[in-house]
Amino acid sequence: MATTDIEELGRLIAALPPTPEGWVRAAQELPQVRRGLDDLLARAEADTALRERLLADLESTLADAGIEPTRHVLADVRERLRSP
Amino acid sequence: MGGPEPTDAALVARCRAGDDSAWAQLVERFSRYVFAICSQGFRLSRHDAEDVFQDVFARAYEHLPKLRNDDAIRPWLAQLTRRLCIDRLRDLTREAPADELDPDAMDELIENLDEALTVREALARIGEPCGDMLDRFFARDQSYRTIGEELDLPAGTIASRISRCLEKLKGAMEDSEALVSPEVG
Repeated sequence: MATTDIEELGRLIAALPPTPEGWVRAAQELPQVRRGLDDLLARAEADTALRERLLADLESTLADAGIEPTRHVLADVRERLRSP
Repeated sequence: MGGPEPTDAALVARCRAGDDSAWAQLVERFSRYVFAICSQGFRLSRHDAEDVFQDVFARAYEHLPKLRNDDAIRPWLAQLTRRLCIDRLRDLTREAPADELDPDAMDELIENLDEALTVREALARIGEPCGDMLDRFFARDQSYRTIGEELDLPAGTIASRISRCLEKLKGAMEDSEALVSPEVG
């Protein structure tokens, strides 16, 4: 049952401090990033040169495709490139 | 802003239909909750908490279409976060961290965070500047002076404004309580 005690309300507001902005933004951009990656990886399936570029210089190739190569994006793509 | 906040279930349904703005709203709604479980509950380092945080939302995004009960997104996220934090601790220590974690204490913390999330919902309902002011003072730990400077208000009036905003929040909480328990009174 939710409290209506003033002091307790203050304590409960304090219980949820803000999340670092960059974390929230990265999670919010997930759908767009996923779609960009799906498109890029689909093209790399058919385009050997693109696939080789991805494997040789992942960060730049992602950046060129308009995808910010964050740590989590890089880990995701590496995983997907490894899988058959 | 305009219009009442959508329910969790409505937000999940819109996410499932491919509405990116609903996804952004869902992340905004639960980001502090997930972060608090990682940092307060499991005391993960910032680096590990960020990894778990991103992993929670990546999995949530993938599994949203399979969620059986849209209303249950909050407990489902809590459970997912809890499990991923335990996995992370296990990876770090290479032993079973569950031995060191008191499940009752964790349940209690999540119960407390659930209540805190309910207060945040009321905070959104009371609107600005009260919502922002209370968040700055209690959650962001800003001084009267900083709040005054950032909101362009005399610092000497902040304490009384906060007090009035708390009363307003209390009223909003009581209204939602009355809706939940209509037989009372």
